[in-house]
Amino acid sequence: MRRTIGLAAATLLFCAGCSSMGVEPWERDILAKDEMQLTTDEIEAATDDHIYFSKEASSGGRGFGGGGCGCN
Amino acid sequence: MSRKENRSISAALAAATCTLLGSGVPAPVDAQEEPLWDFNTSLLYYGEDDDRVKDYSVSAIARRMFVDDRYLTLGLTVDGLTGATPSGAIRQDVPQTFTRPSGNAAYTVPAGVLPLDDTFKDTRVALSAGWQQPVGETSLINVGASASKEYDYTHFGVNAKFARDFNQRNTTLSAGFAYSFDSLDPVGGAPTPLTPMLDVGDTSNRTGNPDKDVLDIIFGVTQVISRNLVVQANYSYSMSDGYLTDPYKVLSLVDASGDTLPQTLTPGPSHQYLFESRPDERTKHSIYGQAKYFMNGKVLDASYRYMTDDWEIDSHTVDLHYRIPFGADSYFEPHLRFYTQSEAEFYQLSIPDSQPLPSFASADYRLGDFDAITAGLKYGWRTRNDNEMSVRVEAYRQTGSVPAGQIIGNQAGRDNYPDLNAIIVQVGYRF
Amino acid sequence: MSKFWFFKVILVAWVLTASPIALTAPPAGDALDIAEYGGKVVVLDFWASWCVPCRRSFPWLNTMHQKYAQDGLVIIGINVDQEPGDAAEFLRAYPAQFMISYDNNGVVAREYDVQGMPSSFVIGRDGQMKARHLGFKVKRQDEYEAAIVAALQQEKVE
Repeated sequence: MRRTIGLAAATLLFCAGCSSMGVEPWERDILAKDEMQLTTDEIEAATDDHIYFSKEASSGGRGFGGGGCGCN
Repeated sequence: MSRKENRSISAALAAATCTLLGSGVPAPVDAQEEPLWDFNTSLLYYGEDDDRVKDYSVSAIARRMFVDDRYLTLGLTVDGLTGATPSGAIRQDVPQTFTRPSGNAAYTVPAGVLPLDDTFKDTRVALSAGWQQPVGETSLINVGASASKEYDYTHFGVNAKFARDFNQRNTTLSAGFAYSFDSLDPVGGAPTPLTPMLDVGDTSNRTGNPDKDVLDIIFGVTQVISRNLVVQANYSYSMSDGYLTDPYKVLSLVDASGDTLPQTLTPGPSHQYLFESRPDERTKHSIYGQAKYFMNGKVLDASYRYMTDDWEIDSHTVDLHYRIPFGADSYFEPHLRFYTQSEAEFYQLSIPDSQPLPSFASADYRLGDFDAITAGLKYGWRTRNDNEMSVRVEAYRQTGSVPAGQIIGNQAGRDNYPDLNAIIVQVGYRF
Repeated sequence: MSKFWFFKVILVAWVLTASPIALTAPPAGDALDIAEYGGKVVVLDFWASWCVPCRRSFPWLNTMHQKYAQDGLVIIGINVDQEPGDAAEFLRAYPAQFMISYDNNGVVAREYDVQGMPSSFVIGRDGQMKARHLGFKVKRQDEYEAAIVAALQQEKVE
């Protein structure tokens, strides 16, 4: 468990330093597409979460926010 | 490159001249209005084989947009569940009679058949509501509540999440929590753990309505890597507190040869079964990573999750979706998911009579050591009235095993672990 | 024949500055090389077919054009779509009464250091940058309009 937390912390710290990575604001055409969102279909994701929560011992994990068109 | 741009700017300037000289014709002011409401609906069928669980479900999510990227989301799901589920008792070479969880009747399972408890006809209604709005220039907040009800289970929950963008919105840091307060009202009352299954009508070892709380916290980072690739990494922490036992599941009490001990007190169940017992606390940690990669119109969605908890369950999940456009208005999306988990520390196939009772024990296959694979295909298309429809068909298969050290005597020859085979069919319509 | 005069000015400006685009801004972003718009207020609005707030900004830009074109407002919608046809599809649904120009490779966007989509820059009658706004919020339309009006009310500095 300590190893998991260590790994998670390292990943988050690494990514927080990702200030040089990415695209310009006008280059987000592909990222803005529906099929490029992290959750493409909310109901499908909720259905799968519910089925696997009922039949397995693990659940969730999926996050939210980020990607997309980056507008406003 | 530069000449082409020069031409287009020049052409624009020329056009501007035309407009300024009054030779242009003004276009109508009315533009297409953005639709305020967005609906996502689905019909789902989930069916396990061998007379096991079948679920029919209708879901709808309605989203209403308010000025400047504010959203109200309302969700409703209605499920109808039927079918039977393994009770935790093991097969025997003789018929077995059990008392139903309600305590009102008994049922008999033929020799050699895996005992299934079919007290599983239920309707569940689940509601959710959420509000999302921007905060300042670079942040987003989402707050919500959820509730669900079925005859023996009630859930209430609240949740909130916050996300903030950095690096020209290439990086997003997010944090969220969900708190649930659930209460159980098991048919017949919750049995005292590790006490025997009694005769029909005898509820002396039953207590009232237990409850449990669950707190989930998630931290995440999303990073745009390139024009075609976005990735996300999350860490989740979950803490469950309260009644975590399944009130309907039992374990067979077995003798030295691994056979279930017959019940000597009559009337009552044919053999001795003890109600299961789980700890009243569970802490889970998960890390999750996801990537979405666009290559020439096709999108690969790949994710991995590792979960570990203080019940000593470890799991790995790999989930892959590959969307392939088909023509201008439709797509195919194959799906493959691999899952593996190790058994809970207190998982055991049966309880040997010769040893002192453990503190916790469960034969629930869902806490055992198994691998699962899902393979499916989704087909989606744009309808004539410019809405979206989709159909997906998936097959889910679980195959598990009981740790060798737990198999006693005659149990060795039998198929002890209830494998699961299910099909999932879902039809979706978004408009 | 003022149309041809425009082309000559652009060509000369391009050759002299050795810059690919007639509309340029030095890194400081103050003075602009839009001599042909001398005396006019120019609004440069960077938009894309995939930019959802642009569906709301276009009707508003049309209104601005109708109200203030006779006072010397020039709106140029600079499209940054990389896929051909996407811009045309957007314009069919949300027609523009103002000028549209195409910056498929983001050269102008880079010159203006666009920080987010959509982005709008108000350039005064004297060629100086007067205001810029990031994103388009319906609730701030009055604020955006006030910036344009303020720029229009300024006398051109000779």
